[in-house]
Amino acid sequence: MPEGKYCNKTPVNTPEEVNFLLSDTSGNQYYKEMKNLEVDSDLLWATIQKTLKSRLRTWLEICAHCGMCADSCFLYLVNDRDPKQVPAYKIQSTLGEIIKRKGKVDNAFMRHAMEVAWAQCTCCNRCGTYCPHGIDTGIMFGYLRGLLYQQGFVPWEMKIGAGMHRAYRAQMDVTNEDFVETFEWMVEENEEEYIGLTVPVDVENADIMYTVNAREVKHYPEDLAEAAILFHAAGENWTVPSEGWEQTSLAMFAGDWAACKMQVESVYAAMEKLKPKRMIGTECGHAHRATVIEGPYWAGRENGLPPVESIHYVEWLAEALREGKLKIDPSKRIRELVTMQDSCNYVRNQGLKNATREIMSHIVEPGYFVEMSPNKEHNFCCGGGGGFNGIGLFRKQRNKGLEKKRDQILATGAKLVLAPCHNCWDAIRDLEEEFKIGIRWSFLKPIIIKMLVLPDHMKPEE
Amino acid sequence: MFTKILFATSATKESDHAARVAFNIAGSYDAHLDIFHVPGVPSRGYSQVVVDVKTKERVDVDDDYLEWVKDEIRTYYAKYLENGLRYDITVAIGFPAREILRQAKDTEPDLILLGGSTGDEEEAVYKKSMAGTTLQKIARSAKCPVLVVNRPAASFWGGLSNITFGTDFSKASDKAFEFAMKVAKNLDCELNVFHALDITSGATGEMLSQDEIEQKIREALRMIRGRYESRLKELKHYSMDVWEGIPFIEIVKYARDIHSDLIVMAHHSKKTEKADAILGSNVEQVIVRAGCPVISVNR
Repeated sequence: MPEGKYCNKTPVNTPEEVNFLLSDTSGNQYYKEMKNLEVDSDLLWATIQKTLKSRLRTWLEICAHCGMCADSCFLYLVNDRDPKQVPAYKIQSTLGEIIKRKGKVDNAFMRHAMEVAWAQCTCCNRCGTYCPHGIDTGIMFGYLRGLLYQQGFVPWEMKIGAGMHRAYRAQMDVTNEDFVETFEWMVEENEEEYIGLTVPVDVENADIMYTVNAREVKHYPEDLAEAAILFHAAGENWTVPSEGWEQTSLAMFAGDWAACKMQVESVYAAMEKLKPKRMIGTECGHAHRATVIEGPYWAGRENGLPPVESIHYVEWLAEALREGKLKIDPSKRIRELVTMQDSCNYVRNQGLKNATREIMSHIVEPGYFVEMSPNKEHNFCCGGGGGFNGIGLFRKQRNKGLEKKRDQILATGAKLVLAPCHNCWDAIRDLEEEFKIGIRWSFLKPIIIKMLVLPDHMKPEE
Repeated sequence: MFTKILFATSATKESDHAARVAFNIAGSYDAHLDIFHVPGVPSRGYSQVVVDVKTKERVDVDDDYLEWVKDEIRTYYAKYLENGLRYDITVAIGFPAREILRQAKDTEPDLILLGGSTGDEEEAVYKKSMAGTTLQKIARSAKCPVLVVNRPAASFWGGLSNITFGTDFSKASDKAFEFAMKVAKNLDCELNVFHALDITSGATGEMLSQDEIEQKIREALRMIRGRYESRLKELKHYSMDVWEGIPFIEIVKYARDIHSDLIVMAHHSKKTEKADAILGSNVEQVIVRAGCPVISVNR
């Protein structure tokens, strides 16, 4: 049986198809079918010939097998320095091998490659900063994931996630109506406490267009209220699009490049329609990478930039605090040891390390902020990046992977961890659940609201 | 009076006292009961896994699981469901406070009835939601009154007949009074308006002499009369009282003393921070301690 009912090479495109795939609990049948999935070697080789460009060819070619990347990989470190976890080995033995064999690989090989691509690499790109040749294995694994996705060798949740983007232009089954309605509901819930709070939908020429993560809408819509409160307190002229509001891209984790393009184009269409001065996304790492860094290339934008200037939430926060748009009550600053997780996706990959530290200088009493070691662009992945958090099949490997972050946090002595990234936030929550080290974790928004000096016009009459 | 009640339950023994009250009120007043349960808290980012609140195990959510949970609830409450009660069972995955509020937004009940806490806070799965307790969040944001039964409702024998309304003379208390009046009128209850004079040093800044206390009690009684008596005359039975002490303790004692089967109070704690959760506002303390159901009115 080459193509299964659940597991096959066809992408999931509609809500019905998503639901059908979801009905296969834990993907049990899906993975059974995967064992019989045929590899279309001709397609694989043709795709490689078309898409494997000089950079990746060169990287695979010039790797000197020096092993400098080994110690940079947290998965190598937590797995007792298993040579099979050396980044160079991981990519050479998968992507390298597929190319060597001109795509003539079998089912077992592809399933093994899937495990390596999703359970032995989070695409955190840390190895790339340590390779003397600048070879970035994370990027190559991103490419490999695309090949695997095309052949149907993709973890169940990733196929669902990519399918959600195709069906809903969101990572979860949240419709445009759900989004607007939920945002309005959240504002309504808070408008008595914060006078004048609104959610301006589809306002043209605003200074800021705000985009979010569908999980906020689905599970913790308080985050939407918090964003509104902070924009309002800062006196910003902001809006949200009723379509194209989802900044994230599980399609990127899945290697579903077509869905990546569809998703990011929906956000760009909103930018083009509403013509805001700037786009700001929520506290999410991969969403920023997808929409701001990689997205322009997926969408084929020649200048490599989104249609309007797009910044990360932490950049806006730093700016608002610096310019006094948001005022902090110094007596309410954090007075306990606190550490912060640098998200790979916008710190290592974009260099925003100073923005978050500037925020810390405003909200933490001097002397209480403790850096993890290593930090900034050298920080380790939270342990759950690149889709790792969501994949049931690789839960054990993921939990092992969390050990590095656990030890880094323990070494700071801090009990409060700020994580301005959804993936990191999740991973850190899960590591507390797994290891019970007694920490608390938070996004920045709720922390800042607690210490905010509200402008008089926002204070309710008592 | 009550036509649609949202009963949010853990469907465990922690909610048994609440269930007794919920089914009784729904039955007595022919209300529709929406039995609502959050079986699991989402885990693992975008995975389909939730942590089951009862077994604390990780489960994959699918239709079978949700149907199974509904069946469990139906079985758990079987003895209450026999007598032609109009009810629905709804289950939703998410953080309880948020999902209860979402359900209330969609169904617009005229009363939300909350079951007790799921016990040990440290171990409770629900704790995974963000700061603040489920109760605080719901009491703060709900558009309708919220009834909580935390302890065995000793003086609740079925139906409502004797209400204690605790006031601190705030605007929010006026809202709560309107609600208490409505219940008293519709259900022909006795309404007892009560104010507790806070004589703890934190409130007064010093030890009050007995003369001062009695002076303040007289003042408070005058305020109650001025504020509420003209309305209270619409009822057959009512009373007005002021006691001194620690407010939440006095309210609980008073309600016990007069065999109230319901306490009505305003909730105006706007904060949901951890510190407040430990200390608790008056109404939260009353909820924790009272021997009868407590209704918190917010707006």
